[in-house]
Amino acid sequence: MHGTMSALALAGTLLAAPALGQNPPAPTQQQTPPLDVGAVAPDFALPGATRHGVLREPVRLSDYKGKTVVLAFFFRARTRG
Amino acid sequence: MHAYRDQYAQLFKDGQDVVLIAISADPVDTLAAWARDDQFQFLMASDRDVTVATQYGALSTRPGVTNRNLFVVGPDGTIAYRAVPFREIDPTAYTELGEAVGKLAPAGER
Repeated sequence: MHGTMSALALAGTLLAAPALGQNPPAPTQQQTPPLDVGAVAPDFALPGATRHGVLREPVRLSDYKGKTVVLAFFFRARTRG
Repeated sequence: MHAYRDQYAQLFKDGQDVVLIAISADPVDTLAAWARDDQFQFLMASDRDVTVATQYGALSTRPGVTNRNLFVVGPDGTIAYRAVPFREIDPTAYTELGEAVGKLAPAGER
């Protein structure tokens, strides 16, 4: 019985939160949905590097038109993966 | 990134027909130093303000950080394959990626 009351109290809290208009407290980044297969890949120009050093010219997707390009986003340098 | 390095010849045909660009929000100097130290054969790009990651939909929930989403752009400039997220410790992820890339040989070489 006690468990049921606790569950009800918790449910009440969860339901009440949006009604009070509270914002989520943790600073999170708004995620945009990943591009779908078939979508046009947006062009970009970003500072680039290779194992030989920083490139003088930016890396542009449009420089590789006609080739297959794999864009591999990753978390952070010197982490696994 | 080490799996990409170690499977570069097989997965990306040593860069002959496939261009691999690894992207994060790190400073470009940091990427260059890492590529040098660990001998990556591929391009790295610095998306400091995560503009490109936002356009593609490759943001972590943590502010200013990209997540491990992968997109294959075909010769026609459209997304031909995606792995969101790319499961970098799962061997089948590389098999799937290799197959996706293999289907996209440039016209005339099929």
